[in-house]
Amino acid sequence: MTSLKTCPTCGEELPSNAPSGICPKCLMQVGMESENQPRSYEDPRVATVDQGGRFRLPELAALASRFPDLEIEDLLGQGGMGAVYRAKQIRLDRQVALKIIRPDSADDPSFAKRFEREARTLARLNHPNIVAIYDFGDVTLTGDDGAQQTLYYFLMEYVAGANMRQLMQGGELNATRSLSIVSQICDALQYAHDEGIVHRDIKPENILVDVHGRLKIADFGLAKLLTEQVAEDVLTGTHQVMGTLRYMAPEQMAGSHSVDHRADIYSMGVVFYEMLTGDLPVGRFEPPSKRATVDEQWDEVVLRALEAEPKRRYQSASDVKLDVEKMTSDNLVPSPDNVRPNDKVRPDARIAKPSQASTINFALITLGTTQLMLGLPLVFIALMVPTQLVFFWIGLGLTLGGAGCCALAFADGARIPRETEPLYGMLILGGIMGFIGTVILISIPLTGHGFVNFHSNNPLIWVGGGLFLGGGGCSSIAWMGEPAASEATVRKS
Amino acid sequence: MHDEFQSTQWSEVINAGRNSSPESRQALESLCRVYWFPLYAYARRRVPTVDEAQDVTQAFFADFLEKNSVASARPERGKFRAFLLASFKNFLSKYWEKKRTLKRGGGQTVLSLNFELADSQLRIEPTGGLTPDQLYDQQWVIALLGQILNRLKDEAEQNGKSDQFRELKGFIVGDHQESTYAQVAERLDMTEAAAKKSASRMRKRYRELLREEIARTVLGPEEVEDEIHNLFAVLNL
Repeated sequence: MTSLKTCPTCGEELPSNAPSGICPKCLMQVGMESENQPRSYEDPRVATVDQGGRFRLPELAALASRFPDLEIEDLLGQGGMGAVYRAKQIRLDRQVALKIIRPDSADDPSFAKRFEREARTLARLNHPNIVAIYDFGDVTLTGDDGAQQTLYYFLMEYVAGANMRQLMQGGELNATRSLSIVSQICDALQYAHDEGIVHRDIKPENILVDVHGRLKIADFGLAKLLTEQVAEDVLTGTHQVMGTLRYMAPEQMAGSHSVDHRADIYSMGVVFYEMLTGDLPVGRFEPPSKRATVDEQWDEVVLRALEAEPKRRYQSASDVKLDVEKMTSDNLVPSPDNVRPNDKVRPDARIAKPSQASTINFALITLGTTQLMLGLPLVFIALMVPTQLVFFWIGLGLTLGGAGCCALAFADGARIPRETEPLYGMLILGGIMGFIGTVILISIPLTGHGFVNFHSNNPLIWVGGGLFLGGGGCSSIAWMGEPAASEATVRKS
Repeated sequence: MHDEFQSTQWSEVINAGRNSSPESRQALESLCRVYWFPLYAYARRRVPTVDEAQDVTQAFFADFLEKNSVASARPERGKFRAFLLASFKNFLSKYWEKKRTLKRGGGQTVLSLNFELADSQLRIEPTGGLTPDQLYDQQWVIALLGQILNRLKDEAEQNGKSDQFRELKGFIVGDHQESTYAQVAERLDMTEAAAKKSASRMRKRYRELLREEIARTVLGPEEVEDEIHNLFAVLNL
């Protein structure tokens, strides 16, 4: 045995001074496992880990004997954190899902306490789009050698359907269905975030859709429970969590302690991007509309959810939903799932604000331009006619006030996106016309015989008045922008 | 030898500090005897010739044990693994300075180090892009595991179970294609279940010894699991 060059267990090359001819890596691997951990050798009565670091489940019979109230039917799936079985709760005669957690994930003296605390919090979540938790606890398995192993489990709502990964692979997501999914994800996340719970591991595998098209998010908060272990696994590469990393927000990947609900919004952005384009937003990625035949309106929503800086992202899931619904209300019929009685659409401040703000801005602009139109000509005339110095001061005051009002309105307008763009060329033309008209009108009483100059025979009145009114009209049309153009973009899809 | 192992603790050595007793000195010596090879492997990467690497290693241990270097070690210096390497690096830099005045072989032999065997292992060692520090750590793990397996073997011999150790040691790390429990059981003239049970006991004892051995080189029991993870990571470089 000592003469072997490769390890018969892991197949790697043996160092020449391998202790007693045994692979040091395998020795350390076995040494790391404590008694509560999966064994690296076969023992069908407990959970084990095979050479590839994959979790090998205990035999169904061994497991079933620990759950006398359940009829464990079959294995639904297996992931980085554990495995899920379909089972029947005999007394209630209902289908349930039994999730067992990898025993090495729970190998930490504080795990039991954290598990209980988290499970209780999660069990409080009650929402049609979140997989409900019925019960939780732990069972003890006894191995071949009499060693005991504790397995932690959750008993959860069973969702008959498919997960989003399967739906995407099957090409079953059309526009209407995608919208319904987005809206339901937003609902579920907003509810959980309001309850102070962050999912931390939003990915297509955790998003289930039942046969009625109702969406259910699974594994809320589980990632937090296992955070330390997962972090370690990334370092030592003991199991596959890289898939999850692709959906992680940058601040989460950096191990920042200040991860909040906005990390979920980022992950949701990744899921949307993948759903729309079939690709993951890696590196310098293109907006969805450049990668697939997707309405350009999605770009803004997806890119804003994917902002690296949490502050620049959507600040709440309900904001995402509002934007998605706004952009789709014209051209897509929302699916019936979108409208449910318990939808928590709150009267959001973001709806009221823009219209209020634009009213205020409109008043400010009107006041500002009026002041500017009066003030600037006054200053101009006062400089021409030095005896009228008082007009200079009045004019200067009006000009400064007007400029201030306009500046305020423009600054606020920049903060809140406008639906239309002002026509700047026309705005300048209108301003110049108004300015010249006002100069002419004000100059009339200052020359010759004072106010006696105002009579219908004076051509200056008509020229000045015409320019003043024309300039005002021009400016206000320019300020309104071109509403027809933006309607056209809405209809384009 | 076993009693010595049990009583030797790095934390005791470091706590003895300046007031080193013959016992604490002996404890340090026994630790050095287990872990000199990784240091020599490090020296071989740092020093141009084999002869010089041997000299400097020998001289270091003489100096290390004679001068009671541990007196200067403060508890926050941490694990024996780190302290030994840091002391050696320190020694090496002084050694370069004094090199001209230091006569070859001038160092007094305190530990008898089997360089011949060491070199036969080192010559064919693939160093695959490792830094000398990483090589030191990897060799450390191998020295540590070798120590544990020697103890397992000694224990088996004492209980008259040398043949069981020989046949079943491979099963410590799991099942493999080499041989099955049934084949081994036949060779050992026992039932398959008994062979399994025996292997399982050996695995359990191995885990105990691993923790015990690591506990000797760190400052407190709370550091043991952490060190196990560190050492595992070292092997995966």
